[in-house]
Amino acid sequence: MGHIKLTNVAKSFGNVDVLHGIDLEIGDGEFVVFVGPSGCGKSTLLRIIAGLEKPTGGELAIDGAVVNNVPAADRGLAMVFQSYALYPHMSVRQNLAFGLENTRMPKPEIRERIAEAARMLEIEPYLDRRPGQLSGGQRQRVAIGRAIVRRPVAFLLDEPLSNLDAELRGSTRAELAALHARLSATMIYVTHDQIEAMTLADRIVVLRAGRIEQVGTPLELYNAPANRFVAGFIGSPHMNFLEGTVETNGPGKTVATLAGGHRLEVPLDNAGIANGAKVTVGVRPHHISIGGEQGLPATIRLVEALGSETVLHADVSGQKVLVVAPGQHDLAPGADVRLSLSAAPLHMFNEKGLRLGHAV
Amino acid sequence: MTIDGSGKTGPRVGEIAMAPVRFAMGLVDAPLRKLQKVAGLGGMATFFLLPNMLIFGIFVLLPFFINFAYSMTGGSALFLSDRSFVGVDQYARLFDCSNYLDPNSCAEDTFWTAVGNTGWFVVLQVTLMIAFSLVTALILNRDLKARSFWRAMFFFPVLLSPVVVGLIWKWILQRQGLLNFGLYGFGFDPYAWLNDRTWSFAAAVAVSIWAHMGFYTLILLAGLQAIPKDLYEAAEMDGTRSMRVFMRITLPLLMPNLLVVIVLVLIRAVQIFDEVYVLTGGGPGTSTLFLTQYIYETGFATQLRNPGLAAAASILMGVVLVVLTLVQLGLGRSSDKNGGRK
Ligand SMILES: Nc1ncnc2c1ncn2[C@@H]1O[C@H](COP(=O)(O)OP(=O)(O)OP(=O)(O)O)[C@@H](O)[C@H]1O
Ligand SMILES: [Mg+2]
Repeated sequence: MGHIKLTNVAKSFGNVDVLHGIDLEIGDGEFVVFVGPSGCGKSTLLRIIAGLEKPTGGELAIDGAVVNNVPAADRGLAMVFQSYALYPHMSVRQNLAFGLENTRMPKPEIRERIAEAARMLEIEPYLDRRPGQLSGGQRQRVAIGRAIVRRPVAFLLDEPLSNLDAELRGSTRAELAALHARLSATMIYVTHDQIEAMTLADRIVVLRAGRIEQVGTPLELYNAPANRFVAGFIGSPHMNFLEGTVETNGPGKTVATLAGGHRLEVPLDNAGIANGAKVTVGVRPHHISIGGEQGLPATIRLVEALGSETVLHADVSGQKVLVVAPGQHDLAPGADVRLSLSAAPLHMFNEKGLRLGHAV
Repeated sequence: MTIDGSGKTGPRVGEIAMAPVRFAMGLVDAPLRKLQKVAGLGGMATFFLLPNMLIFGIFVLLPFFINFAYSMTGGSALFLSDRSFVGVDQYARLFDCSNYLDPNSCAEDTFWTAVGNTGWFVVLQVTLMIAFSLVTALILNRDLKARSFWRAMFFFPVLLSPVVVGLIWKWILQRQGLLNFGLYGFGFDPYAWLNDRTWSFAAAVAVSIWAHMGFYTLILLAGLQAIPKDLYEAAEMDGTRSMRVFMRITLPLLMPNLLVVIVLVLIRAVQIFDEVYVLTGGGPGTSTLFLTQYIYETGFATQLRNPGLAAAASILMGVVLVVLTLVQLGLGRSSDKNGGRK
């Protein structure tokens, strides 16, 4: 129940190729999140799984059966739309019942299912209101409720929280996680939001321009991004990249010279890269600390004091570096500091953007 | 095209174009300020509305009252001052029938023939007009090829003047017309369609539908396109049959537009005149004589013209139209209250 397998799935609109050969297997009960820049094909992929869009190549199987030609309604999936897509002229109750009535389900059972979903989502007081008389958060629950009453093998959610304000998004996110634990149904979730992806996902699928860049658990993606794109996409604020060249390439460590002449030691098992090759060293803003005699000389350009932490925009010989330092610092723009990377996990990417070896 | 433009000459052209406007504004600025001090803000609103109210008063309100006055007078004299007051005699004449189910038993039998014809016309034309424009809008709302072309095709007749519409179809349907010419090619004898009571009535209905359908199709199409696509996708995920989608989603959400269209079509059908007058002249006999034509001919065109009677008939027709308009306003308000779409 709820096992979804995509084999070489492709999609073109006319002569525009939107998805190129997607291979992905989603286990039963898994919470999978699709992330990627705008226009990369997340919604299209979700809609192909839903059956709202036909793939132009490849195969889609649900629980072992190929469903390429099975109509959306017969795939046993339910979708929650970004706009909620509630029927505006029907009451909440009618909205929830509409899909069930199509299946000629007996009335008492429909009533029972609606009551159960309403209880679960705490929308009982609003059952006789219309969507227009509900707040954004309440509408969102109704949209989820409409999916729940159908008892689907998998839920498909396309940016379901993006229309909510930040606070509501936080609480609804937690409720979604609880709901997933309770229903133990497969969920496929599209989002732009880093925190949603990191906190909700069993596995994250990073897409770019119609291709899968990497699939993995949130921490895998954070700690060991497969390439520069994933490294830059996962984590907020995003990873700093420093251009340099390989100087020595010994076992266990590779030394790179940065643009400003500073030397950086990156612990790598096996870089497999020639001396003199151009590389990019990646380091996350949270892993850089201020001070240390051996640090990179930098000039502060902008200070954003958030109270609990301070975001520093620094300039390291012409390259922009972001530092997130815990606590509060009385640094002013123009100050010269040293940035210490000694404690930071460093990543090294070759010219093609692929990550080299394994950082410790 | 922007007025200030982003091209190099744009802003300068804009400056030059604005110069006379600025000059004029400078001239009226001071007096308007003075006026506002005297009249207050509400007074200014009245001041700006005045021209429009004057036009409305002179061309709508005043004629209405004059018409009402005429309906209380008798004789064939044209000027109100030359006419004798007869009270409600003209109305009484219109309603003077020995058997209300038989127009021939009425003193003013042509009036009742025209009322009967108009009634039939309204029923047929409104029903067919709504059906055709709804179906056309539904088809045009699909992803069909050359959609803009088809939209333009259906809208095109709306741009024609009613006289042109009447003439085009007269040339097609008359004895030496295009239709007979075409049928002759297939070996049929020519037939005088417009001299046949049934055919000429059918032609009146069909031509008026053809001429105005595009407008209503456009209103309905706008309504259809305002229905969010994802509602249909949600229904598709739920496995909703297409008939149920139409009845439970499309129709209710289109209802505000549909009501507007129904009432507009209704009002215009009651007023039917120009294209049919050019096409059939009301004939053969009185088979396509409608109310407006009766009023026009009674008041202006017959030998023994009777402006008072025509005025009385037009007041009665006005009452019907006012009722229909109130119904429309009422419906519009209640559908607003129901929230319609959000
Ligand atoms: N019906 C369509 N016809 C043509 N091109 C389309 C169609 N639908 C989507 N596309 C194109 O496919 C690409 C992927 O679109 P998609 O909606 O899947 O992106 P997305 O990753 O969901 O983006 P976002 O994060 O902005 O929602 C885009 O470049 C878009 O322009
Ligand atoms: Mg999208």
